[in-house]
Amino acid sequence: MNPIALKPLSPTAKRRLIVTALVLIGLTLAYKVLYPLAFESYVGKTNAPLTYASSTQLTKTEFEALAQELSTDARQRKAAAIVDTDQEPFARQVKIEMLMNTESFIRDTEPSHIKYFREAGIHHYEGPQTCLHCHATIQVTHGDGTVKTVDTLGDIVNSVHFKFQSESGGFSTYGYDGRQVNSGAHKIPVGKINRACGIPGSFTWTGWAALVESRPEHGEGEVTMRSEGCGQCHIGGNYQPATEKMMPIGDVPSEAKDGIDCLICHSTAYDMNQRHVIQDAKGLRWNQDRSLRAALTVGPINSETCLRCHQHNMGGDAYRHNAAAQALGHVNQRILHRGAKRGNPFSPHDDTHAASGIQCTDCHVPEGHKIPRGRKGVDLVANDIPTKDVTCESCHTQAPHNQSEHKALLNGHIARLACETCHIKELEAENVVLRDWVHPTWDPEEGLFEPTDIYRSGKPGKGFTFLWFNGNGTFLANALGNNPNGSEVYNPLMQQVARLDDPEIIEAVRAKAIELKQQYPDIDVDAYVRMATDPLSQLSPDMLAKREAMIQKNLRAAMNQGESRIYPFKLFNAMMFEDMTNQGPFGAMILPFDYASYYETGDTPASVKKAISDPIVQRMYQEPFKLYMMDEFMSYFGITEGWKTVYPLVDGRLENVEPHWMRQMGTLMVNHGIQGKGRDCIECHSPDGIMDFRQLGYTPERVAELQDLDIIEKLEERPASAEAREKTVQQ
Amino acid sequence: MALSGTLLLTLMTMAPPATPAAPATDNKSCLRCHAMATLAYRDPGTGEIVDLAIEPHALSHSVHGELDCIDCHEGEFDRYPHPSDAANETLSCLGCHEKDDTEDNIARYQSIDAEYAESVHATSDAPEVEGFSCHSCHDPHGFRASQVGEKIAAIVRDGNQVCLSCHEKLRDPFSPHHAWLPNREKHWDAVRCLDCHTPLSDTEQKVSHRILPPEESNRDCVNCHSKEPSLLNRLYQYRSEEDLATKGWLNKAVFNDAYVVGMSRNATLDLLGLIVIGLTLLVLAAHGYGRYKAYQRTKGDPK
Repeated sequence: MNPIALKPLSPTAKRRLIVTALVLIGLTLAYKVLYPLAFESYVGKTNAPLTYASSTQLTKTEFEALAQELSTDARQRKAAAIVDTDQEPFARQVKIEMLMNTESFIRDTEPSHIKYFREAGIHHYEGPQTCLHCHATIQVTHGDGTVKTVDTLGDIVNSVHFKFQSESGGFSTYGYDGRQVNSGAHKIPVGKINRACGIPGSFTWTGWAALVESRPEHGEGEVTMRSEGCGQCHIGGNYQPATEKMMPIGDVPSEAKDGIDCLICHSTAYDMNQRHVIQDAKGLRWNQDRSLRAALTVGPINSETCLRCHQHNMGGDAYRHNAAAQALGHVNQRILHRGAKRGNPFSPHDDTHAASGIQCTDCHVPEGHKIPRGRKGVDLVANDIPTKDVTCESCHTQAPHNQSEHKALLNGHIARLACETCHIKELEAENVVLRDWVHPTWDPEEGLFEPTDIYRSGKPGKGFTFLWFNGNGTFLANALGNNPNGSEVYNPLMQQVARLDDPEIIEAVRAKAIELKQQYPDIDVDAYVRMATDPLSQLSPDMLAKREAMIQKNLRAAMNQGESRIYPFKLFNAMMFEDMTNQGPFGAMILPFDYASYYETGDTPASVKKAISDPIVQRMYQEPFKLYMMDEFMSYFGITEGWKTVYPLVDGRLENVEPHWMRQMGTLMVNHGIQGKGRDCIECHSPDGIMDFRQLGYTPERVAELQDLDIIEKLEERPASAEAREKTVQQ
Repeated sequence: MALSGTLLLTLMTMAPPATPAAPATDNKSCLRCHAMATLAYRDPGTGEIVDLAIEPHALSHSVHGELDCIDCHEGEFDRYPHPSDAANETLSCLGCHEKDDTEDNIARYQSIDAEYAESVHATSDAPEVEGFSCHSCHDPHGFRASQVGEKIAAIVRDGNQVCLSCHEKLRDPFSPHHAWLPNREKHWDAVRCLDCHTPLSDTEQKVSHRILPPEESNRDCVNCHSKEPSLLNRLYQYRSEEDLATKGWLNKAVFNDAYVVGMSRNATLDLLGLIVIGLTLLVLAAHGYGRYKAYQRTKGDPK
């Protein structure tokens, strides 16, 4: 026995011990109870137990009936897939029936969780807790082959899919101040969570879930409720994104964790019609499919499950093969976003990998719930595994071309060109390049005011361009890289992404501006076209000079790093309201829109006022947020004077807020929609080719050489089997 | 870029240069395609990637830097795609080097030929050795003899890379090869494979072309770790006379450029060491003598 413990404590020591214990208990209680309450009231957000109508208790009989139905369905599908479709219909039917009654076939096709649930007596799917019943921990295999057992809930809660931000290092993003994001001591949370963006027109705090009253003209004035908001594609079922995760202390409350939607990724029969906004006493949030049907059909992750959400940012919501768009909701149907973000679909119809049955996770190999997005990235998004590669080469090697007679020459291009440069020939025509949020257009069919897409194109040189890229990007999503010749001329931030000088584009923008002027008589068409196609014209000469100097001084090093190759980049710019008090040479703080008032009234200033009245935006304009993250945010943004906490809404009026186009276009990586057959040589190697070699930093002599492809002419001259050669040249 | 594989010259089916008017005769036309770092294809027969890329800088600095491509490649390479019979072109060093070289050089190449004939690369009947030629080791587009004054570490690294490009499994930390050799990794960083895997002889060649099989190779540590390191001398011939004279010892012992136990000796230090040992012995002896004397005194003086 410990002799010290026997020694009686002096009264002072006793008192000290008790006080310390009390203080500790007090602090723990304060952290666990008071802090969350204080935090909730500080950011004006709510937490409450989340319930879902689809989560119901089934009786044993109902369970067995459902199990039989699912089992038969699965068997029927498998049997039909096995029996040739070109057989005589009756023979086919008989064969399918035989298979349906074959013992091993019944055993092997039944969804696995029917057996598990039956044995465990689970007749009610209650969200994560039901899953965790068996899957409390999972084995995670890391890239280096090590296997670790981790807490499942912790793994998912700290994944980008749930919190959509990260603050560790490893970002490929550089601030316009020249610093790599979060490489220093002061780390701030960065990701979609706190990023106002011109594509959705809002950000997750102010645009999480909205119910919009639409008045379709065919409905004769009747109001139809529609769902909108970022929450539709994020797995938290709460009233807001995981805001707690942005703070240095505190955790997401358990109610929010119970709202995680496991089945949207893990179920093979998830009903996307359940994915719509619902309203309860506490506010608006996104509904989920928590039916036992969805739970019993849990199966391995495949492309179909990922694409329930991710076709949105690839092919686009309105992409003709987007399955999720066929199930917009039993009630409060989701608003389809027209105008694709990238316009490079991943589907068997438009992507050679999808067509050959490759699944998303074959390239994006997950480690538990952390999913790599590759080491290269321009659009400042959080990255679960920043050290893990996702590349074409990992499967295709350095010598991927095997069919063409010119395979060696084609392989030779890989030193300078990314595979995507030739194998994504075009983006979807719906791909939006210029979007005006300030002057919305009435959509009579939907009965909503929608942002006006001033220019859409999927064509090279129009909807996307070619840039040198070494994997680095700027804070506002511009690809960084340089011609390996160390060019001083290549300067996309002053050229390719800051100016649209194709006459065809300018003409299209002008036509659209004239059309808009009918609704908005104040529009000066010439000025409008200039601002949209030459956004740098919005900068004062001082600002412009500062911009050029900052690019040279701060970004050249990040551009010259590593080995750059030419990649295709989707271009995007938007006109939004900006807080001009916080303006720098690369742009000003853009202000979000409130979705409901935007869609319903088209009164854009009112919509901005509503969105920035959100408590968290008000907090953003206060000292604690300034010190915690906004000063750092501004520095990356290229604003050297720090964040000015002048709240732009005074007495119901917007102060120093102006509509502007962002000062350069964002460049988004396009990596899907891969076609097996690449470009023809002459698409690039001709004087009017799709690639502007001069702007890409080549010397005039080299430009002439690259544009004059005598080899091709020579090939055409050759009499012997000229046609056959022609064919192979194109492969 | 080092050309892996290296049997390129016989595999030039895919190579491509041309100008519209005159047939291509200058290196620039060839390099227009062959300077592409990833010019390569996968051979349908073997599944191996055949590298057709030439690193222009390495070429211009190589022993053949002065030559035009067409000096060696005499086939119809002025057109793209190159005619398929151009692939049958065979090139051997002796073809050029015996034809129009000086007497001395011709004699040298003949002795190389004789040495090589006994090399394990020529005599082995292992399937990997089939088709072995000068070019298997000496990339004709980048080969350059080591020069006096070059950094020894770089000579060792580049030299060993030639061997390791085929013998890649040797570097595997679990490889049983060279397990007998103490400080295996350190040896590989400091000594060329050739230094042990060629016979000790006093031919005119800087190093013999007769590569020895493992069982015949040198395992005698003393051949390096001694005052007369006959093996290492071959490596250190690249150190300039001046370098050796002025800071030879300093480099080895102080800067640790290549400190070799047993070899990097200094006479003064040896002498100093001897003196220290001698003095120690002397002190010990004197002390013992003193103790003996004192004992004698107490013994001879009973109280």
